[in-house]
Amino acid sequence: MKREIVSDLLNEKLIHYKHRYGLNVYILPKKSYQKQFAIYATNYGSNDNEFIVPGEKQPMKVPEGIAHFLEHKLFEKQDGNVFEAFSKLGASPNAFTSFNTTAYHFTSTGNFYECLDILINFVGDPYFTDKTVDKEKGIIAQEIIMYQDNPNWRVYFNLLKGLYHQHPVKNDIAGTVESIQKIDKDTLYRCYETFYHPSNMVLFVTGDIDADRVIKQVDDYFDKKDMSKQGRINRIYPDEPREVADSVVKDKLPVPRPMFLLGFKGEAVQKPSQVILDNLILNDLILDIMIGPSSELYSRLYEEGLIDSSFSAQHIEETDYSHMILGGESPEPKKVVDMVYQEIEKLKNKPWDIEYFMRVKKKKIGEYIRHFNTLESVGVQFVSLVFKDIGLFDYLERLEQINNDQLQTQFNNFFDDYKSSLSLILPG
Amino acid sequence: MNMEKIDLEKGIRLFVLPTDKFKTVTTSFCFHRDLDDDYTYNALIPAVLRRGCEGFTTLKDIQRHLESLYGAQFSVGVQKKGERQILRFSMEVVNDEYVAEQGLLAQSLYFLNRIINRPVLHEGRFIKSYVEQEKENLKNRIRSLINDKIQYSLERCVQEMCRDEKYSRYVFGSEEELDNLDADRLYSVYKDIVRSSPLDIYVVGNVDPEKVKLLLERSLSMERRQIKSIPITPYKKLQIKQKTVTEEIDVNQGKLVIGFRTNINAQDKMYFPLLVYSSILGGGPHSKLFINVREKASLAYYAFARLEKFKGLMFVSAGIDVDKDEQTLDIIMEQLNAMTKGDITQQEYEGAVNSLINSLKGIADQPSHLIDYYLDNSITESNITLEDYIERIENVNIDQIVEVSNNVVMDTVYFLTNKKKG
Repeated sequence: MKREIVSDLLNEKLIHYKHRYGLNVYILPKKSYQKQFAIYATNYGSNDNEFIVPGEKQPMKVPEGIAHFLEHKLFEKQDGNVFEAFSKLGASPNAFTSFNTTAYHFTSTGNFYECLDILINFVGDPYFTDKTVDKEKGIIAQEIIMYQDNPNWRVYFNLLKGLYHQHPVKNDIAGTVESIQKIDKDTLYRCYETFYHPSNMVLFVTGDIDADRVIKQVDDYFDKKDMSKQGRINRIYPDEPREVADSVVKDKLPVPRPMFLLGFKGEAVQKPSQVILDNLILNDLILDIMIGPSSELYSRLYEEGLIDSSFSAQHIEETDYSHMILGGESPEPKKVVDMVYQEIEKLKNKPWDIEYFMRVKKKKIGEYIRHFNTLESVGVQFVSLVFKDIGLFDYLERLEQINNDQLQTQFNNFFDDYKSSLSLILPG
Repeated sequence: MNMEKIDLEKGIRLFVLPTDKFKTVTTSFCFHRDLDDDYTYNALIPAVLRRGCEGFTTLKDIQRHLESLYGAQFSVGVQKKGERQILRFSMEVVNDEYVAEQGLLAQSLYFLNRIINRPVLHEGRFIKSYVEQEKENLKNRIRSLINDKIQYSLERCVQEMCRDEKYSRYVFGSEEELDNLDADRLYSVYKDIVRSSPLDIYVVGNVDPEKVKLLLERSLSMERRQIKSIPITPYKKLQIKQKTVTEEIDVNQGKLVIGFRTNINAQDKMYFPLLVYSSILGGGPHSKLFINVREKASLAYYAFARLEKFKGLMFVSAGIDVDKDEQTLDIIMEQLNAMTKGDITQQEYEGAVNSLINSLKGIADQPSHLIDYYLDNSITESNITLEDYIERIENVNIDQIVEVSNNVVMDTVYFLTNKKKG
């Protein structure tokens, strides 16, 4: 089954094909580009630590960091590692694990179809032994330790621990040096078989590419395989209270001056895709109006030397949780936080300027269009949306329809009875 | 796709790359400065200029203006390329065809000219509060380098290695200089930048070069005087006293950085073999460092080699356990020695060449990378196209790689480690 999705606003066309085993394939042709980019992703990340394997009854709990470990190990095969095969073709492969997805990708400038073959084959063919699993523990331990020395990373994960009591999003994606010791080849195979079924995965390719050839290649690969349909994977997430776990989380690190992140916790409930999309757009706009570079508050904070260019704000919206975070380096984080709280109250009680709204909306439109310049960035964006059941062009189309009243209502709802947590890194 | 070069007034060169593949038009003004005693002033000036200009006197005015131009991306920055500082003012606007607004490019050039040439002044000087705030911000930025331990350790290795050379200067300036900043000098350095620094203007996107030239002639208001020439960065150093520097701070992971002199710069014909050499050593998963330090010995998550092409330096960097520095250093030096002996497999050679070509081809897909490529060409006074560049890489043979390997001399070993050690 093949269909075309067209965006007149972007002058782009996306081709969608669904294989009978359930794999969704998307092709975004980009004429005159030298590069090709392919990303093959599974709806499986560090949050999926407890689940019921389809066909079984008992839930299974796995060590923290296993999705990321699996990502590392898929690159290794009986006859060496996959990097060599890509490298012969001049392509550079890589992968990442997030809270909700694991993605394998490559950038090529020629030999695209051969590279695509390698990608589909290596992700489809796990090879784990006790020896190779053990060897990886040393490498991943260094990766974990490297992040521990990064204060930006620490302030972020400390915040998540402050916001959440139970939800696995509070755990480090790579796990801990201790938790990864418990990982063995059998557990890796079990996770692999559960989450790497084509019906739980998506393939996205972009560049100057022939869509039919990609589809045929996917057909040829899977038609050789004898696969059964997979039932639903039951993912188990603990109940997450509305309250935050800790209103302040403090840590000491050798930083030249304090670092902070303030987080606002959204409700941890399952949402339909339409709600997720609206929240994504509306909360992005809210952050711009509240504390974006053109806001009153930003100017005041900047001019008083309370924030600088290290400051940033973003909204995270996932199917089962969401949070808004803002922060950076500051000589007096508490002062910044107080001013943010005051601004929230001020914004609740006054009508919003329509011109300001229109300007910020224009800015978001421009940013979304610009981002279609870069193949890798479109691919990664695509993956982050697709498992939430949101299409690549939906964001821009929906953004065009948003009005000022909707935005203000959203703001009042989000900040009606907000739950926040402050993560602080102090010099020491 | 070819860059068109047009000479404008004194020392101003316009480079236009017309292409319809991007959804935006990117413009960059790049002033070239010697990395001389004014380097801290050079670093501060773009930060002060971005605070306000005639018509848009505050940060907020500027931001609101950018929003109304469909989220135009305006940025300023400084870069170090050899012993040269590049002061950059850039703007990226959406191509008119995607939005209900015309003339975004003209607006963008008009705005950049204002920022550079019409700063908001008070009694003929920069606004004091803007200078003070940006001075503080820059000082904090210099101090924050330590928050990124990989960058910090590379920078520290450069400082130790090039102690008596201009290249040791940090691109964002020095704290001490900022503490003793002279406001009059700041303004005169600014005047000197706009009057006498070589200036390259790059425009990439769906534009007509003639039209861009006309727009610039109409919008630019610079009083240009005698243009300064910038000395070529010295890159040869034969008398080397090897040194080892250990720094102890509170870290979990040790960072080993080794600085080498290659005695080859980007203008040398041996530069292309050097590129392949460095890629075989540590340019990705095909490399000797990745395979031997990471995959075989399981010592590191990252281990790479990187070239500085104007100063002729190479750095090898790895994040390791604090007690594994000697073992790692041994493995790294074994890899270098292997290359001197010509111990390079066909697979390593092809992997390196292919990976270099892959990244070179990719430059054409990214406006900012294209600008950087042509900026480097401008510094080396070269006209080499991407196609020719790729051909030069393809023609590198193993003998040449072995030849350059003999030029590579170890200079400084820097290790960032934990206090608890020893």
